[in-house]
Amino acid sequence: MNATPRYSKTEPEVTGIARWRFVTVAIVLCLLALTVTGRLAWLHTIEQPFLFTEGEKRTVRVKTESARRGMITDRYGQPLAVSTRVVDVGIHPARVAPSALSELAQVLGRPEAELIRTVAQARLKKRAFIYLERQLQPDIADKVAALKIEGLQLTNGYRRYYPAGEVAAHLVGLVNIDHQGQEGIELSYDQYLQGDAGKRTVVQDRYGNIVKQVAVSSMAKAGKDIALTIDLRLQYLTYRELKAAVDQHSAASGSAVLLDAKTGEVLAMASQPSYNPNNRALLKAENMRNRAIADVIEPGSTIKPFTVAAALDSGRYTPGTVINTAPGYLRVKHKTIRDHRNYGKLDVTGVITKSSNVGVTRLSADLGAETMWQFLTKAGIGQPSGLGFPGETVGQLPYPEQLDALRLATVSYGYGMAVSPLQLAQAYTSFTQGGCRSPVSVVMDAYSPDDCQSVMKPGVAQQMLGILETVTSNKGTGRRARVEGYRVGGKTGTAHKVGRYGYEDARYTAVFAGVAPLTDPEVVLVVVVDDPKGREYYGGEVAAPIFSRIASQALRLRQVIPDDLTELELGQQVAKGL
Amino acid sequence: MNVAVWLAVLVSALIQIGMVHWHRELLSQWQVLDTKQRELTQEQTRLLLEYSTLTAYGRIDQLARRQLNMTEPDNTRVLTQ
Repeated sequence: MNATPRYSKTEPEVTGIARWRFVTVAIVLCLLALTVTGRLAWLHTIEQPFLFTEGEKRTVRVKTESARRGMITDRYGQPLAVSTRVVDVGIHPARVAPSALSELAQVLGRPEAELIRTVAQARLKKRAFIYLERQLQPDIADKVAALKIEGLQLTNGYRRYYPAGEVAAHLVGLVNIDHQGQEGIELSYDQYLQGDAGKRTVVQDRYGNIVKQVAVSSMAKAGKDIALTIDLRLQYLTYRELKAAVDQHSAASGSAVLLDAKTGEVLAMASQPSYNPNNRALLKAENMRNRAIADVIEPGSTIKPFTVAAALDSGRYTPGTVINTAPGYLRVKHKTIRDHRNYGKLDVTGVITKSSNVGVTRLSADLGAETMWQFLTKAGIGQPSGLGFPGETVGQLPYPEQLDALRLATVSYGYGMAVSPLQLAQAYTSFTQGGCRSPVSVVMDAYSPDDCQSVMKPGVAQQMLGILETVTSNKGTGRRARVEGYRVGGKTGTAHKVGRYGYEDARYTAVFAGVAPLTDPEVVLVVVVDDPKGREYYGGEVAAPIFSRIASQALRLRQVIPDDLTELELGQQVAKGL
Repeated sequence: MNVAVWLAVLVSALIQIGMVHWHRELLSQWQVLDTKQRELTQEQTRLLLEYSTLTAYGRIDQLARRQLNMTEPDNTRVLTQ
């Protein structure tokens, strides 16, 4: 019975059991605290560098800013290639909420279902990043940015516009979607135009707002502008006339080069067929050929003036020296060189007027291979033009050792050699620059008067202009090159095209190379029409009229004073009723 | 001595805070100006393109011929000296 009070006294035994529990709990708690402290210490010391960089990775961004590409303009500042700002819209598929896509589709003007499918597919393929829209107009991009969708990334970029389109496409060239030069000036001056991209290290929040700028490694530096020597007005009309003529004669291709007769600057350079550089989807490689620079032609009779100039420059001939071309053909080795008909006795001037193959063959045989080769080389035939254009051809001129009697004869009238239309035009500037030829240039301020290649004596160049004028006289082969109100000179050329089995009988290249006006030459123009189909195929029939049309408009645009007043005065008398 | 050092530390801490704040302000200002510059360049490019389209030789030629009935002067109307 006493047991009950004793039991109440045994309560400390109960606390004894509680002490054991207490110790266990205390130890566990201590261990927990230790673990937490240990973990903290671990994270702060040993794991710290790793965690720090991981943290940085999520907030710190190195932003590259693409530099604005320089502008390409014509000689008066008219834009030929301009970069405008566009925005690429990309998305991190895993981070974007599907609900946000419908809003986005609305702003982008795309079907919602399609957009959701695109993103879902990218997510399935575990793609980290896809572009939704490239080269978006900035005003639409601003609306996209205003949606503040997570996982969306807007990148500033540029898009290249070519206001002159197909008219100057071959010369200006184009860039690819990443803004790198692919053709033409865009390629050859790529570095100069490009500029330097900028690089900044910044801290960003999750919406892409910049919170803090950590470092600037380099500021974006815009590319430099380039002014070409092209006059866009002349380029337009050259292109228009060339295109019309190529269409009219259903020719395979055509090209025209208009040079400043005094400086050798390229005023216009057109090729057919052309392409629209603003629409990359329709590009065809064969249309992108700059035929004035990249194609070679056999110049045919347009080389004859150089044979004659070489003869005059030797001092042994004058424009009046008589050469016997009878009986209208000449046998050289196993081949017979023929004229159209027997011209009989011609003076040196007449050889050009009538375009006598026999005449120039006799002259070149007398001069010898070495002299001929040297003269043509000085005129720039078979030599690089120095424009540094991609795909530019050097042409071909056989070395003197390769020139036996027959090959020398063929070279004297422009066969067995290859030149680009540009080289031919450049060679003709030696007549207009007083015998000393400046290298052609396509970028402004490249011309310097001291830098010229002496080709012939100034007196000979002057005589040659007179001789070239006879070609457009009533007796000459280039009557249709005449320009009302101006004295013009030039030389026609018709070369058989080379086919699979040597020269083809019925396919031709029609060429005209000319100078206008002769009193004080302003422009040198070469027109090449390749494979005209139809009844007209001679240089004098196909190329000369194009020369006339381009030259007359070019002279008017350049406000050149008419130097052939005889017809004009006649016209005025008619107008006065005299 | 100690007090002076404490004060110096306090002052420099305050200056540092001020500097960081100033830096951020300048940064945001720069960003605003940079955006503005971009927009202006964009506008200028747009106008340039528009201008060049409107003054394109082919267009002027067409307008002169069709709307204004202009033509090249023929030789009876050329003034000579």
